[in-house]
Amino acid sequence: MNLDENLLYEVLKHADAATLGRAACVSKQWHRTAQDERLWELICTKHWANIGCGNTQLRSVVLALGGFRRLHSQYLWPLSKPQSSSSASGSSSSAWAPFPPMIGAKPPARWGKDEVHLSLSLLSIRYYEKMNFGNRGR
Amino acid sequence: MDELLAVLGYKVRSSDMADVAQKLEQLEMAMGTAQDDGISHLACDTIHYNPSDLSGWVDSMLSEFTNPPDDSEYDLRAIPGVAAYPQADESDKDSSPAAVSSPSSSSSPPPPIAAAAAPSSALIAEPTRPVVLIDSQEAGVRLVHTLLACAEAVQQDNVKLADALVKHTGLLAASQTGAMRKVATYFAEALARRIYKIYPQDCLDPSYSDTLEMHFYETCPYLKFAHFTANQAILEAFATANRVHVIDFGLKQGMQWPALMQALALRPGGPPAFRLTGIGPPQPNNTDNLQQVGWKLAHLAETIGVEFEFRGFVANSLADLEPEMLDLRPADVEAVAVNSVFELHRLLGRSAGMDKVLSTIKAMKPKIVTVVEQEANHNGPVFVDRFTEALHYYSSLFDSLEGSTASQDLVMSELYLGRQICNVVACEGGDRVERHETLTQWRARMESAGFDPVHLGSNAYKQASMLLALFAGGDGYRVEENNGALMLGWHTRPLIATSAWQLAR
Repeated sequence: MNLDENLLYEVLKHADAATLGRAACVSKQWHRTAQDERLWELICTKHWANIGCGNTQLRSVVLALGGFRRLHSQYLWPLSKPQSSSSASGSSSSAWAPFPPMIGAKPPARWGKDEVHLSLSLLSIRYYEKMNFGNRGR
Repeated sequence: MDELLAVLGYKVRSSDMADVAQKLEQLEMAMGTAQDDGISHLACDTIHYNPSDLSGWVDSMLSEFTNPPDDSEYDLRAIPGVAAYPQADESDKDSSPAAVSSPSSSSSPPPPIAAAAAPSSALIAEPTRPVVLIDSQEAGVRLVHTLLACAEAVQQDNVKLADALVKHTGLLAASQTGAMRKVATYFAEALARRIYKIYPQDCLDPSYSDTLEMHFYETCPYLKFAHFTANQAILEAFATANRVHVIDFGLKQGMQWPALMQALALRPGGPPAFRLTGIGPPQPNNTDNLQQVGWKLAHLAETIGVEFEFRGFVANSLADLEPEMLDLRPADVEAVAVNSVFELHRLLGRSAGMDKVLSTIKAMKPKIVTVVEQEANHNGPVFVDRFTEALHYYSSLFDSLEGSTASQDLVMSELYLGRQICNVVACEGGDRVERHETLTQWRARMESAGFDPVHLGSNAYKQASMLLALFAGGDGYRVEENNGALMLGWHTRPLIATSAWQLAR
């Protein structure tokens, strides 16, 4: 079934993070749409505490530093998981490897101010670290 | 088990009471008749590493008296405790943890009550059957004792004995695994350098030490904790300012500042103008590390829409800094923060260095001064005390690294710490820069210099705790609040402390 991209987008606006992630695996078109930053911005901001700044301000900073999808998968999502065994993947080369999302997980609880600030900080650090490896024109 | 003594932590079997009581008598007699003044310190300064092994301790004291150290050849039996000379074994295994992992060490002689200890790795004063035990836990205890005995020998300028002991630690270290082995190896190497006077060059390429520090940054949360907690204090101090100026006493790779800039960018009402002055050591080959870091940060600032200005300062020592160099603007125009992560302790080697820097800081009229330092006293006047304290400190630190997964990062992080160990143990005078002091000591110093403490808020505490939870490395990290300062430690041992200060009214 070939859904019009706009229609698909409207539908996915109501999806949660896990669904959005799975949707990205369906087909190339779905993948393109499900990766839309606006969708992930909704996922992030729908459930987090108001940190005081305006949406435009937030959007410009987050998009510049790597986007909402990355913010969610690398930092917000791991913070919402219960802190069980912290001995994570032995094969990962970085202590900051994201935890693999659990299938069938409940939607995350609201992210508080501290979770949001911490995630944003980590996002900015990662952006800066990536600059170290010669991407001078980034 | 004798109940009275069990309460004190001494594992005693009633059937053995008589035996050890007799030994204690012998010991008292021996101490009373001892001619040599040098052993009087044993009466009060002995460190009792294994309180449950009273019998062993008494035996070791006895062997010290009955086998005086022979100067003409190194005599391993001279080493107190379970140290180097293997003793005859008994059936019971040593059930106590290796001394290094237990942070406490009681320094009092055993109670005068007639006591007996559980016959653990029993030591007999005269070695009868030299059976070598390959019990790694026991070897671990021996290793620590040997290292300490070696430090003692070094302090007493007994080169022959120190030489023998340091070689023996190599042998013992080989029986260990993991953190214990690595720590022992670094300390043994540092002792060897001190003994043979092969001092390490401290002025190694700063970019090499920056690289090592980056790996340390990635492997464990200490530096991240330092940055996050300091930034929180700075953010709160800058809450209403329109122009802000941060003076960083050790810019290195500038890893602390992206997060601060991001937080400023998202401030309700928009970001202030952000000025950063970064101070760093001279670089070889005329490479300008400070400018490169400044460029990167400028690029980041531009990306997120923060007005940014950068200035780099090369200085051999912070004491060379003068306030006039910094182009300070009036306090009502620009709010100033001074940030020092593991930099201030380097000044303690030069007599007036610290005072000069503190008065320079005051001249900057900062709204806030953030100080992060190692939580340990590695600056005491007595070498053996410094050595012992460092051994405990770095053992905890290496222990905490063991949980991390990345192998190359881990090796580099250990090298990073190893260089500190070398400096604490092998260097003296102006070369010894790793002069760590405790929060209590820093507090006293800051307060007498005219600073008031600023409490780090609960935001800092919460973010720090969350940061640790994210860290894949280990469950052993603990954040602790200490009168407004925050400490990060491994299990019960605090390892670094962040504190914030303002000018006293």
